[in-house]
Amino acid sequence: MIQMEKNIVSFNNTVDVEEMPVQISVENVNIYYGENHAVKDVNLPIHEKSITALIGPSGCGKSTFIRTINRMNDLIPGARCEGSLLYKDVNILNPKVDVVQLRKEIGMVFQQPNPFPKSISENIQLPLRFAGVRNKKTLNQVTEDCLKQVGLWDEVKDRLDRSALGLSGGQQQRLCIARALALKPDVILLDEPTSALDPVSSAKIEELLLELKNSYTIVIVTHNMQQAARIADYTAFFYQGELIEFGKTKTLFTNPEKKSTADYISGRFG
Amino acid sequence: MKISKIATADPASRLDNNAKLINEKGLLWRLTDRASETRGKMFIYSSALLMIVAVIAITLFLMIQGLRAFVVDHLNFWTFITGTQWYPDRTVNPSYGAFPFIFGSMAVTFLAALIATPIAIGTAIFMAELAKKWGTKVMQPVIEILVGIPSVVYGLIGLSIIVPFMRQHFGGSGFNLLAGAIVVGIMILPTVASIAADSIRAVPDSLRQASYAIGATKWQTIWRVVIPAAGSSLVTAIVLGMSRAFGEALAVQMVIGNVTKLPGSIFDPSATLTTIITLSMGHSTMGSVLNDALWSLGFLLLLISYVFIVIIRFLSRRRNA
Repeated sequence: MIQMEKNIVSFNNTVDVEEMPVQISVENVNIYYGENHAVKDVNLPIHEKSITALIGPSGCGKSTFIRTINRMNDLIPGARCEGSLLYKDVNILNPKVDVVQLRKEIGMVFQQPNPFPKSISENIQLPLRFAGVRNKKTLNQVTEDCLKQVGLWDEVKDRLDRSALGLSGGQQQRLCIARALALKPDVILLDEPTSALDPVSSAKIEELLLELKNSYTIVIVTHNMQQAARIADYTAFFYQGELIEFGKTKTLFTNPEKKSTADYISGRFG
Repeated sequence: MKISKIATADPASRLDNNAKLINEKGLLWRLTDRASETRGKMFIYSSALLMIVAVIAITLFLMIQGLRAFVVDHLNFWTFITGTQWYPDRTVNPSYGAFPFIFGSMAVTFLAALIATPIAIGTAIFMAELAKKWGTKVMQPVIEILVGIPSVVYGLIGLSIIVPFMRQHFGGSGFNLLAGAIVVGIMILPTVASIAADSIRAVPDSLRQASYAIGATKWQTIWRVVIPAAGSSLVTAIVLGMSRAFGEALAVQMVIGNVTKLPGSIFDPSATLTTIITLSMGHSTMGSVLNDALWSLGFLLLLISYVFIVIIRFLSRRRNA
């Protein structure tokens, strides 16, 4: 079975190079929606300038977990988190944390591309304006930099003032990533960023993420195991709210410790 | 087992073995048979037809009546809509200048919108963004009650509160343009607020999430993302309120003073197209010049209402595009 796995997936070869320091340390995190215990006692390190993939079947708590990292779960009434997510010596779950500042440092990209119904340049400039940047030159410079980083600059430089809704789905998603980069965050969270896209656009985003991990810490939720295998340095397998296994992607895919991990990655359920 | 049973069901067991595939039953059968759709269809089609005929008939009737003043009575159309002298009762040289009423209607409408818009949008934001539960449980019913209050009640409140207030603080009789605008503004407030709340609720949550995810505060999200995204439907709410304000007669008539002169300021009494029609129609004889002139005002009112509808249509089409 494991032999077969090796044949269908190609691994991100940088995994073995070096172990990056831990940026966010997750300890005993429990998340509840009302009575529903959605995430149970999760412990895992998120390494700096690496890609950590969260995989698992639908409803396993991986999206809930990723949304806790920048406190987006605060917006859901009845959601409650316990435990510790240590980032810069601060527990992210501490109620005194300034979530607005936190989200400036830990950005997020969603499953459905959600550009604002504004022009392409305004989409990237809005986070800066929210942060109080007024200088036209800075705004334009950041717009150009971010669009170049996501490889969108050459495609849209002649129509920066046109509506972002006129872009294709893949372009919109890259614009959303560019928007998340505008404030130069430390961490970028991506919640199934390619599941609404065609294979070509998905491949472009994967390529982009591999490039971005040189400067940013990336956490990605994905349904697509091949995607995790292709791009992630570390993979966490969630099942029924529990973190079943966490490890280097190559190890987890070729030599899983737990039986349910092996069953899931070989496609026996999920 | 079960599946094969269904698959081999005997055709002879069908309810009506004599049913024909070709329908060649006559009109009488189609009208009387229970299974026929014809009666239902006829009812629905004729309802729709009646609606269309009614609209066309009203427009045509108003047009014919409204044009009499110019065709039969030879009033000059231009002096009619720009003239400021309205003296229909003068035996020598009566004059029909409707501009003060057109101006009055416009002034009341725009002032009412000016008063109602900020409050209505504020209420809508409160209901749809800040206190969602409270907004739908408490505010929504309150607003529905406000919409349902008859306009005469608004007029009465205006008469007993706003008019004395105006008299005390701004002099004169207290009956004036501003009093009319305030009464109508309060009247259209709930309409505008509830439509505006709907349009804010229609803004997809994904945009709010996107905004929070880039480190926006609640206020930044509301002002910079939600309101612009609701954009044209908010304008639709305001225009809808304006069209209601434009057509309101009774409440305005009770507080505006009904003076046929062009007002010099918002603290002068004045009149609108609707108030002059309701006031003068009763004591004018059918076919008299005054009566025809009033019909012309009515026609004008209809045309301007159509303009409002065209604006609303245009805005909502742009929204859906």
